[in-house]
Amino acid sequence: MRVSLHVNGRPRDVDVEPNQTLLAVLRDTLGIFDVKEGCGEGVCGACTVLLDGRPVSSCLLLAASAAHRAITTVRGLEDEGDLHPLQQAFLRHGAVQCGFCTPGMLLTGLAFLQNHPGADRAALRHAIEGNLCRCTGYAKILDALEAYAREAKRD
Amino acid sequence: MTDGVKLEREMRLVGRPVIRHDARDKVVAATAYAGDWAMPGMLHAVVVRSPYPSARIRAIDTKRAAAMPGVATVVAASDVPHNTLWTDVPGQTTEVGPLRARLHVLAEDRIRHQGEPIALIAAETEQQAREAAEAVAVDYEVLAGVFDPAAALEPGAPAVHDQGNLLAHWRVRRGDVAAGFARADVVVEGEYRTQHVDSAYLEPESGVAWVDSDGVITIRVSTQVIEHFRDVAEVLGVPQNRVRVIGTYLGGGFGGKEDVTVEVYLGLLAWRTKRPVRMVWTRQESLLARAKRHPYRMRYRTAALRTGEIVAQEIELLADSGGYAYLSALVLLYSTVTAAGPYRMPAASVDAKVAYTNNPPTSAMRGFGAMQVVFGYESQMDRLARALGLSPLAVRRVNALRRGDALPVGQVIETHVALPELIERSWSALGEPTPPRAPHVKVGRGIACNLQPYGRIVWLHDWSSAWVGFEMDGSLVVRSGVPDVGGGQASSLCQIAAEILGVPLEGVSVHIADSALTPLAGTTTASRQLYMSGNAVLKASRELREQLLAAAARILDAGPAALEMADGAVRASDGRSLPLVELLRGCARMGVPRSHLGVYHAPAGEPVDLEKGSGKIFPDYTFGCHAAEVEVDTQTGRVTVLKLAAAHDVGRAINPQSVEGQIQGGAVQGMGYALMEEVVLEDGINVTTSFASYLIPSAGDVPDVEALVVESGEGLGPFGARGIGEPPIAPPAAAVANAIEDATGARVTQLPLTPERVARALGLVEGD
Amino acid sequence: MYPFEYVAPASVDEALAVLAEHGEDAKVLAGGQSLLPILNYRLAKPRVVVDINGLPLDGVSVGDGRLKLGALTRHATLEESDEVARNCPPLREAAALVGNVRVRTLGTLGGSLAHADPAAELPMAMVALDARLGIAGRSGRRTVAAGDFFTGYLTTTLAPDELLTDIDIPVTRDMGWAVEEMSRRTGDFAIVAVAALIRLDRRGHVDEARMTFAGVGPAPVRVPAAEDVLRGAEPTRDRLGHAAETARAALTPESDAFVSSAYRTLLAGVLARRALTRAVARALEIR
Repeated sequence: MRVSLHVNGRPRDVDVEPNQTLLAVLRDTLGIFDVKEGCGEGVCGACTVLLDGRPVSSCLLLAASAAHRAITTVRGLEDEGDLHPLQQAFLRHGAVQCGFCTPGMLLTGLAFLQNHPGADRAALRHAIEGNLCRCTGYAKILDALEAYAREAKRD
Repeated sequence: MTDGVKLEREMRLVGRPVIRHDARDKVVAATAYAGDWAMPGMLHAVVVRSPYPSARIRAIDTKRAAAMPGVATVVAASDVPHNTLWTDVPGQTTEVGPLRARLHVLAEDRIRHQGEPIALIAAETEQQAREAAEAVAVDYEVLAGVFDPAAALEPGAPAVHDQGNLLAHWRVRRGDVAAGFARADVVVEGEYRTQHVDSAYLEPESGVAWVDSDGVITIRVSTQVIEHFRDVAEVLGVPQNRVRVIGTYLGGGFGGKEDVTVEVYLGLLAWRTKRPVRMVWTRQESLLARAKRHPYRMRYRTAALRTGEIVAQEIELLADSGGYAYLSALVLLYSTVTAAGPYRMPAASVDAKVAYTNNPPTSAMRGFGAMQVVFGYESQMDRLARALGLSPLAVRRVNALRRGDALPVGQVIETHVALPELIERSWSALGEPTPPRAPHVKVGRGIACNLQPYGRIVWLHDWSSAWVGFEMDGSLVVRSGVPDVGGGQASSLCQIAAEILGVPLEGVSVHIADSALTPLAGTTTASRQLYMSGNAVLKASRELREQLLAAAARILDAGPAALEMADGAVRASDGRSLPLVELLRGCARMGVPRSHLGVYHAPAGEPVDLEKGSGKIFPDYTFGCHAAEVEVDTQTGRVTVLKLAAAHDVGRAINPQSVEGQIQGGAVQGMGYALMEEVVLEDGINVTTSFASYLIPSAGDVPDVEALVVESGEGLGPFGARGIGEPPIAPPAAAVANAIEDATGARVTQLPLTPERVARALGLVEGD
Repeated sequence: MYPFEYVAPASVDEALAVLAEHGEDAKVLAGGQSLLPILNYRLAKPRVVVDINGLPLDGVSVGDGRLKLGALTRHATLEESDEVARNCPPLREAAALVGNVRVRTLGTLGGSLAHADPAAELPMAMVALDARLGIAGRSGRRTVAAGDFFTGYLTTTLAPDELLTDIDIPVTRDMGWAVEEMSRRTGDFAIVAVAALIRLDRRGHVDEARMTFAGVGPAPVRVPAAEDVLRGAEPTRDRLGHAAETARAALTPESDAFVSSAYRTLLAGVLARRALTRAVARALEIR
């Protein structure tokens, strides 16, 4: 079936099987490997995309159901090759180790801060509870989010 | 191995929290992990596995599966040229008895654990492969199984393997233990149990294989060991130079990707079909099939004087190897050597056994046997403290190893032991005690020290190699076989090379983990890579520098000793300088190589008979101390860690931010082990095969870990570094258990410290 | 996952027609947070998946002393809606406990109720709130009390050819409330959860008490005997403790691989006491 997806600001019309998840279509049809399969059950967050600005598990969304919604993956954050300030914060604060959870963390953090600009560390911790990381222990991810929240607040 | 000159002056890159070269790609999701790879005509492969833990295969019928739509091939044991895999402490060649373990690629007639692989299917789509997998008909005769290592060692227990269920038995005897117990003022005893856990990396096992235009079977895979190309070659019966393993940047390893995972299957299928083949495990498959951490049953008897000084310790360990040996004997060896902890031990006896069962196999995992025993020896230290009315800190200070002391196996510690400083720093980092937030909540504190070996056992004659070379324009290339598991393994090498050769970090390109194109560096395991490959790159860089400065000396007509490489040039002490590009052109003219292959050989030793002998086992150890403050809800048993301070002597922090990250991440993994992670088995059947039932900590479950980095400068790695990959995972469980006792008086001796277990220890729930 | 036919009806009648045609071979797709894992794990093989996200079943409104919710109301909406916060705050708290942020973006109230996981927060809340569930089938519409809807483990009175369409809850502005939960990890299903609602009369005595548990049986459990202990009485500490103990003694949860029945029972008593205490405190504030 033909489905109109809207990915990172661009319309992408694709042929999908009914049983293909958005995760599978993004990766296998569109070659967008920003999203990863970590668990297949919506627990780990490695497959996070923003759907109309809100985080969802792309492994639990049929591609057919995602038609005409705005889908954002991590590559939608870059601005003509310049890193988004949150991405820069992740680099500066050493918030990236193996990197597998990183795209999901970035999108989830950004979506949360969009709606809660003054959020403190405790609120940020709660915001990323649904994104599992096995490498960092979360501390430097929170350092990066906190730093970005402070800077974004100033601007 | 330290660079004497450098230590005297400020280093430009080493010791700085530089941004890792791989981090940028990761924040824009440009890193191509092993599963992020597609090739034209690529097939998709799945594994067919046994649902039974103990069975005989009467017949396998793959005909129906092979005929299904899209199926390219079905492989069973009879289709595998050499169906045996040896676990031989990868990369090494010295035969070491029970350390060489045998495994089938695909089951032949006997099933020894749930999930044992039986057949492989490759098809045009993953969906078709899975449908075909469900059509493979296996006629099983279900057999009795044994699911407890103690039961497995009883006479009459079902034999998991023909040679009996005892896989390995290590013994240490030192001093006169009986005399020690006789003269002791107090003896404390404890029995402790730890659980099976899973590596639970976010990236499941994955890879793609193809046969390249030279007929080389190429396997691009998430692995900690690229030397597995030899295993693949052996299984296929092809020369080793016809197999190439390209190790990708891993989405986590933690020891779970140390044994072969998908490499052999991919090699087999690509070789048979002559098409590219991809295999990516689902999370459930990974949780089901991957080797786990050994659960331990430990019995400790500790005898001490009134002063707190330990005079003797008697330790029994029993581990569960599951259906196959894998690295179990080696893991047990690590436990045996470290079982008494980082303490002086005039007399000690250790009896460590590992038995086969029909449980899932156990093998390497971060900490590798030196982790489980921390729960034993550190719980004992607190018991001792309480029995004597001493503080937990004092009893550890009294007994802490010092340089020149020996471990029970007789190894003399030759480097500085920073334990007193680590104890003091971690404890004071807890700050003011947190007042209980409600009447039903109690707050307590506990500490735990540990020692973790880094570098391989010395009689394995470990080595690593690295190639460093300049391009004509002055940009630098580093080639090393090191797999990068996410801990900055590759980026540290760049820092070291750039430091020595005086170039900016951005001027370095690093190529890693390609068995055909990068010099072999050995496994990313055993906290060995910074030590081994860091030293290899250091050596290669220094030797290259020597070569180049000799050439520069000729060009500048100066003494080489008066020259140094800095700021992308050669600088003479008299102020003259030679731009790097000119030097390199000069080298080309003079026939001086602009590159160098360095090989670092770890100081080697000969095998030690643990029971009779005495000697060096590991090159060195990393010491640590964690302090935890916890809150216990005395009505529900729920434990919350409020603070965790983790102090380690890392020798030298090549990249302090990376070191902190390792400590924080390891300690959180340790808190998962302490509080919530458990593979639950029911007669060998794994009932925790999803992330909804196998729980790893989220950000809401753990506090920020305060990483305290002590740099004694006495490690054997580059610039005095010690290994830090594994040490931080081990202390939290004991620190938390000790804190629970401090808060409530209840000692919990089994992991994980779930609310129910704590509730039982508090007497809130009765019976079984 | 296994292949299936995908249908996205535009009206309730169209959806019902598809369900009637395929019966047990069809699965309804709302938020997908419970269905998709099952499909990803190949634990179910439906021939047809009926995507009902296009049906006009969302919407939050208040009228006649009742909060009316479409079955497709997302958990996130329950968390963020001012109307829910004002008129039924325990519902907001229960919704905030469901899963993680991604589950709450797409997961629906109707989906959670139809799935009927015994450890889920929303089924428990519906029973505690005396909700009435609107169901549409080929033979017409019917309403079921939440207390009668959940019949067993993952089982409700919904027939394969029926759809949950709306949920209707009496406004609880005059009631104190609390939701207490303990899970093995943040964001997980509850081991045990309890929702309590208390209304006090002018004398400060308990006029109405409702307490419902999740995780202690195959369906949400209400213990009328415990509620009776409170009715008409002054909500002293002892009285609340007695009610919690009555509830605890009446429950017969089973053991599973992770948690024993004895521990579940312990938790039920402790959480019940805490929930009642907080509910009474809130009820006093309201007066």
